[in-house]
Amino acid sequence: MNSLDPRVSRLPQIQEPVSLKAPLDQFGTFEVFVQPKEGKPFQHEGIVHAPDIELAWVLAKETFTRRFTCTSLYVADTRDVYVSPLTEGESNAYDPIPETRESGIKKTYEIYHLAKRGRQHVHAGTVQAATPQHAMTEAKLQFNTGKTVYNVWAIANDAIRFTTPEEKELWLTLSEKKFRDASDYKGGDKLKEFLERKLIS
Amino acid sequence: MNNLALKELLYKMADDQLILGHRNSEWTGFGPLLEEDIAFSSMAQDKVGQSLALYTLLQTLGESDPDTIAFTRNASRFHNCILVELPNQEYDFSLIRHFLFDTAEALRFEALTNSAYEPLAQLARKIRGELRYHTLHANTWMKQLGSATEESITRLQKSLEAAFPYALGIFETSPYEAELIDQKIFAGEAALKEKWLARIESVIHQTQLQLPDWKTLTPVYGGREGKHSEHLQPLLDEMSEVFRIDPTAEW
Repeated sequence: MNSLDPRVSRLPQIQEPVSLKAPLDQFGTFEVFVQPKEGKPFQHEGIVHAPDIELAWVLAKETFTRRFTCTSLYVADTRDVYVSPLTEGESNAYDPIPETRESGIKKTYEIYHLAKRGRQHVHAGTVQAATPQHAMTEAKLQFNTGKTVYNVWAIANDAIRFTTPEEKELWLTLSEKKFRDASDYKGGDKLKEFLERKLIS
Repeated sequence: MNNLALKELLYKMADDQLILGHRNSEWTGFGPLLEEDIAFSSMAQDKVGQSLALYTLLQTLGESDPDTIAFTRNASRFHNCILVELPNQEYDFSLIRHFLFDTAEALRFEALTNSAYEPLAQLARKIRGELRYHTLHANTWMKQLGSATEESITRLQKSLEAAFPYALGIFETSPYEAELIDQKIFAGEAALKEKWLARIESVIHQTQLQLPDWKTLTPVYGGREGKHSEHLQPLLDEMSEVFRIDPTAEW
């Protein structure tokens, strides 16, 4: 169907009576982590769709750090994120992880904890491990304080697109962009004033 | 310091940013994907913000307040290059314009970080992070789409060729070039153009796109002296529509 309206040309084609379900025509996802302040741990903010990790980083910058304070961000392909089972109540996500160590060439993994259901995963530290499974074991040995953790993530450090030191200047003027915050326009106050004036007249 | 020369420089820079900021903001809600819609809209906001900073400098030199300057002049009193006023067309054209213009703008401000006019040098240093993001965004898309599919390469190439004579118009010289250079306010359009060509070429070479043979092209000039295409006045009418209803309203 030819149309100037992009929504019309995105409509699915009329299919043969029986056919395979077509794969989704969309980009893959990348996980976005943001450091809100110097010295604070990185926290998971959400995902972006992008054709590759470099564009994911570029698009994550405006999608997730448009308004609130940010000193740095990084992204990783969703397919590079290893996750433990998600637990509830008193059950610690570290409990079922075996403590058997593995040998082999080790690399650095970044470890994240979900400390509360419904909140974000927060960076807990780094471990050296031969495999993602092994990284979970190392995390259990190093970061399991007994306090309930509901989910653990592990991402190989070399799978992450970090912010370079020079790129930190990207957020230099962020604190001045108050106009991006709806509350800065004080719409409520102005409406109140207007209504009061109307009542008087 | 020659105020006329300085004002001419500030006006053309501010008008470029305002007009392109407005044009790019027309994509808000229509971008090719949500994340890109947000990024492109944010950069449009940055551009309008940068124009405000420049109009504010003009105010300190005796010009009217920024709102009056931005919203009450007719097309013939705008000094933007014609490239920035052209309609958006399809997204490939907007991306190419973003790449060609923002590369020039980033290099212009980079040169101005050492300007003898200290308030402008300060502004250039302050917004370098914004400009770094704008060019990174443009270059990353160029490298991605410039080598992606036959359709993306063909579309970008077509837009690159259509936009290039207008892009050369960014560097239309002012009557005050020599004074600006002598007084170390700005290194001049010729020097800027040379740096720009080298930077554009280095990105294009990382793609399957071909740099147009720019020496054979006739640059589209006129914008800097107020001679515009038929597209600017309708843009200004729309941009100032609300302002003109009540110029004294508080927002």
